[in-house]
Amino acid sequence: MTVRRRSHALRAVAVGLVALLGGATAEAQRYEVEIQKEVFQRIPLAIAGFAPLPDKNPGADLATVARSVVVADLDFTGLFDVIDPMFLPVDVRSLKPGDQATVLPMLNLFKVQGLLVGTLERRGTELALEAHVYDVERGTAIVARRYLGDVTAVRQVAHRLADEIVFRYTGERGVAQTRVAYVAARDGARELYVMDYDGHNPVLLTGNRSINLSPRFSPDARLLAYTSYRDGNPDLFLLNFQTGSRTKLSALPGLNISPAWSPDGEWVALSLSKDGGTNIYLMRKDGSGHRALTNGSGISVSPTFSPNGRQIAFTSDRGGSPQIYAIDLEGTNLRRLTFQGDYNSSPRWSPRGDKVAFVSNMTGRFQITLMNPDGSGLQTLTSEGSNEDPAWSRDGRHLMFTSTRTGQREIFVMRADGSASRQLTRTGGNFAPDWSP
Amino acid sequence: MRTQQRGWNGVLVAILALTVGLLLSACASTPEVGQAQPSGVGATTPGAPAAPPRVAEEPVRQPGAVAERPVTPAAPAAPARPAAPTAPPAASPVEDVFFDFDKSVLRDDAKASLDRNVAWLKANANARVSVEGHCDERGTNEYNLALGERRGKAVKDYLVAAGIAANRLQTISYGEERPFVLGHDESAWRWNRRGHFVIQR
Repeated sequence: MTVRRRSHALRAVAVGLVALLGGATAEAQRYEVEIQKEVFQRIPLAIAGFAPLPDKNPGADLATVARSVVVADLDFTGLFDVIDPMFLPVDVRSLKPGDQATVLPMLNLFKVQGLLVGTLERRGTELALEAHVYDVERGTAIVARRYLGDVTAVRQVAHRLADEIVFRYTGERGVAQTRVAYVAARDGARELYVMDYDGHNPVLLTGNRSINLSPRFSPDARLLAYTSYRDGNPDLFLLNFQTGSRTKLSALPGLNISPAWSPDGEWVALSLSKDGGTNIYLMRKDGSGHRALTNGSGISVSPTFSPNGRQIAFTSDRGGSPQIYAIDLEGTNLRRLTFQGDYNSSPRWSPRGDKVAFVSNMTGRFQITLMNPDGSGLQTLTSEGSNEDPAWSRDGRHLMFTSTRTGQREIFVMRADGSASRQLTRTGGNFAPDWSP
Repeated sequence: MRTQQRGWNGVLVAILALTVGLLLSACASTPEVGQAQPSGVGATTPGAPAAPPRVAEEPVRQPGAVAERPVTPAAPAAPARPAAPTAPPAASPVEDVFFDFDKSVLRDDAKASLDRNVAWLKANANARVSVEGHCDERGTNEYNLALGERRGKAVKDYLVAAGIAANRLQTISYGEERPFVLGHDESAWRWNRRGHFVIQR
């Protein structure tokens, strides 16, 4: 990460030097054109630090944490080029609010577009973060916000600031405040956890020492559907994050597995094995309106709704091997989408509707693959180790997944083009991430 | 849950056996360690029983592997045929059956095992069994739950066709979530693609 960012910053410096030197050779000019195109694609930002604010723990500094979280969040988006301060002509890290006017011209010369200056203060048990983002060229404030939060929630406060900056520059909601539910293998059990999207603050959700699988956030992120063997059978549960209550949505004999929420949050698709085969059914989130979407003696699992709610893609072995199929919600227009290879499974429709991510067996290893919803345009995104469980960010820009590339199962995240892959968990045996809306 | 208890009993036995064995071997090898790192031994309290606690910890982290290790030695004897494991009878009067990857079809060796299980079930007319369907770690977790379900049902259907009352047989799938042998190659996978019998008490 640092290396890449530095290379960009270096190029920015090179651009600046070329501009300063003026009379450049033809070769340098060609170089300049090439660079400017790349720098133009991302928004170069300079992030001044916050004045040091020691934490209760010796050696810990809240200001350092806040700055690093904002920088990591913005860098993660792939939309910004957070410029390393050491490549800037002024020491932005010691800037204080009000000082910005003196440095903006110099930053402008270096093609920096935005400058974040802020203060972080403790007010009793509360933390106050005040942030200003200036348009370097015009000198106007793009963001002027004050956030209050518990001292222990410094990361959350910084995530909110990062999302605000993303929104001001792109008009889209950022993902810095989203969370990830996942399964962790612990002493033979499978427990559900939820963590921040950057891998921090893991919290245990189940703790029944049984097998808990397939967490799925409802579209409003208030409910989590999951399968649990808590009572001896794989039953489907709903966890309400606000009340902490757990209700059984489906506990029919056999499998009650692989839930998926309809985009309006009213329906849950799931797989049941009560009638011989394993088939996909629909039911309302209160358990009513139960009806079959597929039938037969084969396997149909892992449904995923198209964002308009009219179709479902799923895994089925009705053709002899696991492949991805799609069907309209009325139970008509069944069609096979994948034909390459002997094992394609776990489809996830992108939030924008333009892609379906799935898991494909490639010579013994499983890889995250994308296709268009009609089955065309195959694109393999991973290559190291075995990779499963693709899950989209709500903006469709990133995918989270499970990989064995380190020798044990860990959760990773990458951009939707397969680049900028990074590891989120490090304790081993972590899998099946679901990314909150 | 019952399996797990039985499994843990196996683990305890394995721990005991391992501990005794390692204590014996530790006694023998202690001087060697002392020669290799004289200063280190002096620094850590004299005679500190370093080995046994470490051994006790390992099975806790990998319960499945330790419990099932007695099974694996049978493997090298017949490397050509991954079928026909001979070990389980020691643990249970009903034999487990094994499957090919992504298959729930009963192989000939599985049918032979099931025929013996039928004889046992007929001789023990009050016994009820649960058939657990298991998969190896390859493939996706949700698909494997359904595959394990189908393996369990294939076993149950065979037993019912052989005259065992259906109400004596339960099935449950654990997919790839409860491997019997930990490992990431065929030497482990072959044992994990299993129909596992648990006698209900």
